[in-house]
Amino acid sequence: MGTYGSRSGAVGMSAVVKALDKIEAKAKKVAAHMLEAAEGDIVFKDGKFTVAGTDKSAAWGDVSLNAYIAHKFAGQELEPGLKETSFYDPTNFTFPAGCHICEVEVDGETGKTEIVNWTAVDDFGTVVNPMIVEGQVHGGIAQGIGQALLEGAVYDKDGQLVTGSLMDYCMPHAHDLPSFKVGLTETKAPSNPLGIKGCGEAGAIAAPAAVINAITDAIGSENLIMPATAQTVWAALKNGQPRQAA
Amino acid sequence: MYNFTFHRPTTVRQAAGLLARNPEAKLLAGGHSLLPVMKQRLAQPSALIDLSLVEGLSGVEQKGRSIVIGAMTRHADAANSPVLQQLLPGLASVPASVGDPQVRNRGTIGGSIANNDPNADYPAACLGLGATIITNKRRIAADDFFTGMFSTALEDGEIITKVSFPIAKKAAYEKFKHPASGFALVGVFVSKRGADIRVAVTGAGANGVFRVKSFEEALKKRFAAKSIEGMTIPANGMNSDIHASPEYRAHLVGVMARRALAKATA
Repeated sequence: MGTYGSRSGAVGMSAVVKALDKIEAKAKKVAAHMLEAAEGDIVFKDGKFTVAGTDKSAAWGDVSLNAYIAHKFAGQELEPGLKETSFYDPTNFTFPAGCHICEVEVDGETGKTEIVNWTAVDDFGTVVNPMIVEGQVHGGIAQGIGQALLEGAVYDKDGQLVTGSLMDYCMPHAHDLPSFKVGLTETKAPSNPLGIKGCGEAGAIAAPAAVINAITDAIGSENLIMPATAQTVWAALKNGQPRQAA
Repeated sequence: MYNFTFHRPTTVRQAAGLLARNPEAKLLAGGHSLLPVMKQRLAQPSALIDLSLVEGLSGVEQKGRSIVIGAMTRHADAANSPVLQQLLPGLASVPASVGDPQVRNRGTIGGSIANNDPNADYPAACLGLGATIITNKRRIAADDFFTGMFSTALEDGEIITKVSFPIAKKAAYEKFKHPASGFALVGVFVSKRGADIRVAVTGAGANGVFRVKSFEEALKKRFAAKSIEGMTIPANGMNSDIHASPEYRAHLVGVMARRALAKATA
């Protein structure tokens, strides 16, 4: 049934966390046997198992090995192996929030829009890999700009798609995009153990609205449909009250 | 793609002979217009006659008061030609604006004008400078060469070998690119050489490249953007397709003409 969208991190990684919790609990049992201590006294920190209040410890690798040869000391009480499965269904959606600011310059004679600046700050809760998250935002904004300015599927009266090639259907190119300035705030989501929020769609959701708002602000007309091609903006300009750049 | 035979002549005479013997054959230059339509099975030539091994068809050189460009000269080579950049920079900007780097490294001037795509750039430059198209049989003035959308004055067995452009004192090209293809939605080439004033438009006309006599007339007083301020051309006769309406194209002709004039007189 798919991922629902923008939830691989929030849901998938939560399941990973739950499974790891089970692994840790079992490994503590193994360590307790190895270190001849009570299970409740075992502390797991920095990849090491220690007995609270002592200098007795066992490394993760040793504990893992012993988990697979559990017959030596605990075969009766403890099933060998360190393999667990976890299912996770979140209690709620996550609610990423953000603000995207788009600055455009519209050529008053041709209607061509150029995006000159893009600044975005999003809150995706806990960020596991910032580079991947930034890439997701970049890709989303590019997709949103494509929707706002360039991409339009056109069918003829027989239902034949006439924008059937990339010579006719305009995907955003690198030169259609500015250099994005993106930032993050981090308010943890309450609905999953890691506090992760979805980030995949943020750019694509924010960008069309930001672009169209910027153009309508510039040309003084809200009568604009997407994609706001040069011809569309030129037609709208004729009825608008263009503003000059400050 | 349908089957075809493939020939690689080394002289224009051989190529012309092959063309005469294969009425359904096509000449292959850069292939960037021909090969896509063959792949889509919209064209079925019996043979391709590849001109890439024919010697002496490439290069840019000055000959008296003209620049002569060989028919097989790639767009990138023409755009980067020091001779062209120095003597006729307005013309150098035309191949520089074609398509993308892949197209510019394969596409040729001869292929472009023989195909006479209504959105191609070179036809505007040829008409806008009053070029002479030289074939294996004769010399054809640009005014007589482009006869309508995808059609030219070329006869069966005729091969373009070079194009000669007079060195105009003032010349510039301004183009409104289609955002997806890079073709000219509207492209305007303007030039002034003595009393010869030309405004040639590609991309806009329903019959391919054309001259705007009303603009040329107005520019006789003074060759400047101001002279055609507020002037428009009728939308009637403009091309209409999914990319632009006739009204928008007609409007862009005026805008691009003024911008080209500003460039030419800067």
